Amino acid sequence: MATEGSAVHAIEVTVNGVPHSVAVPARRLLVHFIRETLGLRGTHIGCDTGNCGACSVICDGQLIKSCMMLAVQADGCEVETIESLGDGPDGLDPIQEAFKEHHGLQCGYCTPGIVLNAKTLLAENPHPSEAEIRRALKGNICRCTGYVNIVASIEAAAAGAGSVTP
Amino acid sequence: MSTPTGETTHYPEVEQSERLGAWSGKSVPRKEDKRLLKGQGAFVDDLWMHRQGHVHFVRSPYAHARIVSVDVARCEAQPGVYATLTGEEVGVLQQPFFQMAPEPAGLMKDYCMAVGKARYMGEPVVAVLAESAELARDAAALVEVVYEPLEVVVDGIATIEPQAPLLHEEIGSNVAWHGVFDYGDVDWALENADHVVRIDRLHFHRFSSTPLETTGALVNWDPGTGVVEFRSNNQMPMFAAMFIGPAIGLGIDHMQFSSQDIGGGFGIKITSYTYLTALALLSRKAGRPVKWSESRWEHLAASAHGNERTFLDVEVPVMSDGTILGFKVRAFDDAGAYLRYEPLGAVIWSQVVPGNYRFKHVRVDYTETLTNKCPVGPNRGYSRLQHLWLIERIVDVVAKELGFDRVELRKLNYVQPEEFPYETPNGCIYDSGDYPAMLDLALELIDYEGARKRQLASAGSGKRIGIGIGSTLDSGTNNFGQSRIINSALPFSGNGEAAVVRLDLYGEITVTIGTSPQGQGHETTAAQVTADILGCNPDLVHVVAGYNKAANTYVGFSGTYASQFAVTGLGAVMGAAERLRGEIVKVGACMLGAEESDIELADGFVRLAANHEAAIPFIGIAATVFANVAELPGELADSVTLNCRYVYRPPFTVPDHETKRGKLTLTYASQVHAAVVEIDEETGQVTILDYAAVDECGRKVNPKIVEGQVHGATGHGIGAALYETFEYDADGQLLNSTFADYHAVTSLDVPHIATGEIECPSPFTPNGAKGMGEGGGAPLSTIASAIEDALPQGAHIVYDTHNNSERVYELLRSAAAAGPRGVEVISR
Amino acid sequence: MLLAATEYVRPASLEEALAALAGTAGARVLAGGQTLINVLKHRAAAVELLVDISRLEELRFIEVASDGSARIGAATTYLELERSAPLRAVAPTIGEVAAGTVDRQVRARGTIGGNACFADPASNYPPLLFALEASMEIAGPAGTRSVPAGEFFLGLYRTAVGAGELLRSITLPPLDGAGVGYRSLQLAADSWSIARAVAWVRCAAGEPRTIEAARVVLGCVAGAPVRASATEALLSGGAASEEAVSAAASLASEGLEPPSDVHASGSYRREMAAVMAKRALLDAIGGAA
Repeated sequence: MATEGSAVHAIEVTVNGVPHSVAVPARRLLVHFIRETLGLRGTHIGCDTGNCGACSVICDGQLIKSCMMLAVQADGCEVETIESLGDGPDGLDPIQEAFKEHHGLQCGYCTPGIVLNAKTLLAENPHPSEAEIRRALKGNICRCTGYVNIVASIEAAAAGAGSVTP
Repeated sequence: MSTPTGETTHYPEVEQSERLGAWSGKSVPRKEDKRLLKGQGAFVDDLWMHRQGHVHFVRSPYAHARIVSVDVARCEAQPGVYATLTGEEVGVLQQPFFQMAPEPAGLMKDYCMAVGKARYMGEPVVAVLAESAELARDAAALVEVVYEPLEVVVDGIATIEPQAPLLHEEIGSNVAWHGVFDYGDVDWALENADHVVRIDRLHFHRFSSTPLETTGALVNWDPGTGVVEFRSNNQMPMFAAMFIGPAIGLGIDHMQFSSQDIGGGFGIKITSYTYLTALALLSRKAGRPVKWSESRWEHLAASAHGNERTFLDVEVPVMSDGTILGFKVRAFDDAGAYLRYEPLGAVIWSQVVPGNYRFKHVRVDYTETLTNKCPVGPNRGYSRLQHLWLIERIVDVVAKELGFDRVELRKLNYVQPEEFPYETPNGCIYDSGDYPAMLDLALELIDYEGARKRQLASAGSGKRIGIGIGSTLDSGTNNFGQSRIINSALPFSGNGEAAVVRLDLYGEITVTIGTSPQGQGHETTAAQVTADILGCNPDLVHVVAGYNKAANTYVGFSGTYASQFAVTGLGAVMGAAERLRGEIVKVGACMLGAEESDIELADGFVRLAANHEAAIPFIGIAATVFANVAELPGELADSVTLNCRYVYRPPFTVPDHETKRGKLTLTYASQVHAAVVEIDEETGQVTILDYAAVDECGRKVNPKIVEGQVHGATGHGIGAALYETFEYDADGQLLNSTFADYHAVTSLDVPHIATGEIECPSPFTPNGAKGMGEGGGAPLSTIASAIEDALPQGAHIVYDTHNNSERVYELLRSAAAAGPRGVEVISR
Repeated sequence: MLLAATEYVRPASLEEALAALAGTAGARVLAGGQTLINVLKHRAAAVELLVDISRLEELRFIEVASDGSARIGAATTYLELERSAPLRAVAPTIGEVAAGTVDRQVRARGTIGGNACFADPASNYPPLLFALEASMEIAGPAGTRSVPAGEFFLGLYRTAVGAGELLRSITLPPLDGAGVGYRSLQLAADSWSIARAVAWVRCAAGEPRTIEAARVVLGCVAGAPVRASATEALLSGGAASEEAVSAAASLASEGLEPPSDVHASGSYRREMAAVMAKRALLDAIGGAA
């Protein structure tokens, strides 16, 4: 059995605007790197086959599942997690405000992945139809909301209905 | 056979608090949301303790096997491995878990890991504790277990045959419980009815709500204090404590439980006390905190499944005008390999004996059985779901076979609005409701007339349209005394929840409750009712997030489950807030030199109603009582603490074990759903074109939160109806134990859900609310109803809760095959 | 969920990638990882070295020639395929299939080469590449060799790519007015396929419309995609009518013994393959010039 020391790689990855130079074992998943090595707990793990999307983050502008990527593969990449949203520790950004207004979350476990999904969707398609929203959300499972209010929240965010936090 | 009493004794009507209204009833945005939206929630895997080790469980690959030997030597020799725990050790360290079943099933020896024998695929056999999760996983591969596979039984009915392999030798059979529930006189009804409709077999399948966060815990048995701390996402911590304590020989006062945010529960996180027990023993052995995060396949294979129930030989007496007199059935509930919350399910369905209807004569011969499958847990809708689906199938099938309109037949047989409070055949009291109005609203929401036209127009197009209806109940706030119906020796009855509402030293309004929410918004609704009673904005009310045994208050049944928070949790908060209000008024009156009747509370101030300038902020009240008490007259000072606890206790008495009658739940929320589906004739694939859910749950404290629960329960129901099912092969191997193969519904599967609501306040609760959240599984009935409506003449009835495209394809073809249809009508 | 210890290298060129593959027994190509990482999570295969080719420009391109043929680098992602207007103009089905694959997170990283080389009976691309008579270019120590798609997919998880080799590109011949139909019966939206059929049809000029040539490939019915030869034979030279298509498609899965699993029985798969074949053929006829 190979020991950890023999397969460690130096990577440079920028997370939420902060550059990190770290050595990671080849086998470490990006989601574990984010959660355990960097201590960013907002990215969650909900399954073991890349189906649930709770681990979704933005990597070089694309929404990806961080449990389906090795940390070493993020070398040279720019990663954004849920912690990058909102104006500082007390703020919510307009998408987050829309979710709060429209009860787009219940237990909150899928929420970070869903909010990042919404962010990347609206960046590409500022006025998506309901069908397009549902299509975009396909890779993020929610067990609490039945998706209805998630869709409503994203529609509201698209319409600019989320209010700015004072 | 039992007869209902001539006189109905309902619950006492409860005077509704006049103070609710400024905030209760409004869709106040949630306090929980900011931290959850920002990824700042504290879920159990986010927690960490110094010196912790990580746990990996070695699990049985066999559904039934003797454990011949376990060798952990190679595993333990790995650097970084702290300790292991085997079943053999557990057999010595743990007393078998308390069993709720009467003997002989109550003789079952159930431990936190497999002792001597594994009884389901995935059962934990050895626990490995190591420096990191990777190391624990790697080292676990070095544990050597020798198994002797045994014969497997997966059929929940065949398992009671004498030749079936025995799961628990000490019981002598695979029967967990058996009893006959007999109300009215169904034999008389069958003899005298104009028609008897017989249904051979109906099957409610095995699935789970699969919360997105799996089970997990950080457990530390502190050698210094002897206290075991459980930081876990168990959703019924005090129930867990009652099972863990005697098992590991620890007083409940030496167990601490806490959780802050839980990523969904739905009943599946109730039976995790077995894992908590293993983790406690491992922590004690290793002298370290132990951290465990369940992987998804472990959750699907080895946490809990919903009950699987088969109904045989259903007989339904019907009069020629369509009055359904009741029914008779043999029910078999497959509980899996162990009884972790069972056999309570054997009585809990009887909260809703006649469903939404006025049936008077019901006999259910109920057998609960054991098989080599994952043990069941109280999955969303627990036990009532199964029974209510049976009833809706009965109503639909009777309508079809005897030529009644499904809508009219329901309206004829529903409990009518003027009959509430309504006593059911076994003495339960339905508090309030208006099912006909809900049905009308549901049909309006799907444009029933339009749908019928589309259905006619679709003839010959290759697509068949079906319209479905499903009515159901969500019985809430249960009387644990019903456990005595299945075992008269159980020392449980009643229910309760506790809350403390207090002013902190500087007058901060603080609320703690005994519940362990998993997304239901307790912090928000508790703040709403407190704000109403104390006359302030909910922003001024701090509700302590999550569950904490040491810091919060609790009673025996504290937790979040079974559709009751709006009644028990908020009832407790209201009671505590009223007490605090009384004290604040007393102190304020004294300080203002006024009579209590002159005082009002507003915006965090105590003031004279006649002169708002004469006002003291709550900080003034608190500062006086806590730091300046000599200023108060002695008698007054002795009578106030500003720390007010209240236990809300529903007015339950103990049900009758002999007659199996009693008041089993306090409230009855209801739902009526309607759907329009389109079936592809060549493939059997079902598409939902329109879906409507109408709910009634008394006075809503926060309408948006309630609606969210309705959406979520509907999503779960649609998932189970069309996409989600656990399938075992004949060797007891679970064929779909990951989300790749167990298809949890996505945003593309769940359609837009139109919602409607009516409000029938409960006369029996302090706020007119009814517990809700489980939803009653209406989609299961609604979709079965819609599929059946789309099938051609002569097709077999819809007989299963799960209808994937292959099953629908078989149903479509059954019409041409002109074979048995699963139903028979005998008419006089 | 936790991978076993493994080694990783990210070669800077195709040559380096081949050298890495040749240099270690138990080396595997890692492209998007949307399948391989799951395999590693469940420790279903032991991999000594992951050779990450996902960023190699040499393997990530879409070239459309003036004759209507297209050459696609194996490491091109579903998202890139979906978004390529030039590709859509000459081979629209490739991008359509990409757009319906799983979800957008997977599409951002998963690749056509990864899909083809995984060769699961339910994989999206194998039956399509077979029906289009694509050419699979395999790079190895001795150079690049070309294998027709029909000889590339050998069975369950087996392709013509040998040890030390990797799939470098896929060439699609021009459609030249042929129509392509792609139909799947899925467990749920954009989810596992239970039965799949791809049809390629060229119609002859003139009225009434007749079929000059047809190819029908079935997926999910066996380890590798299967040509429905009996169906093809019946269609060739015959009417391009619904009746003729129905009759021919009903033969599509004759003699096949598709597996039964948790999602569907073998007999349902067999019947549905024929239904999908019929629908794919009608789509293809509709799209043919």
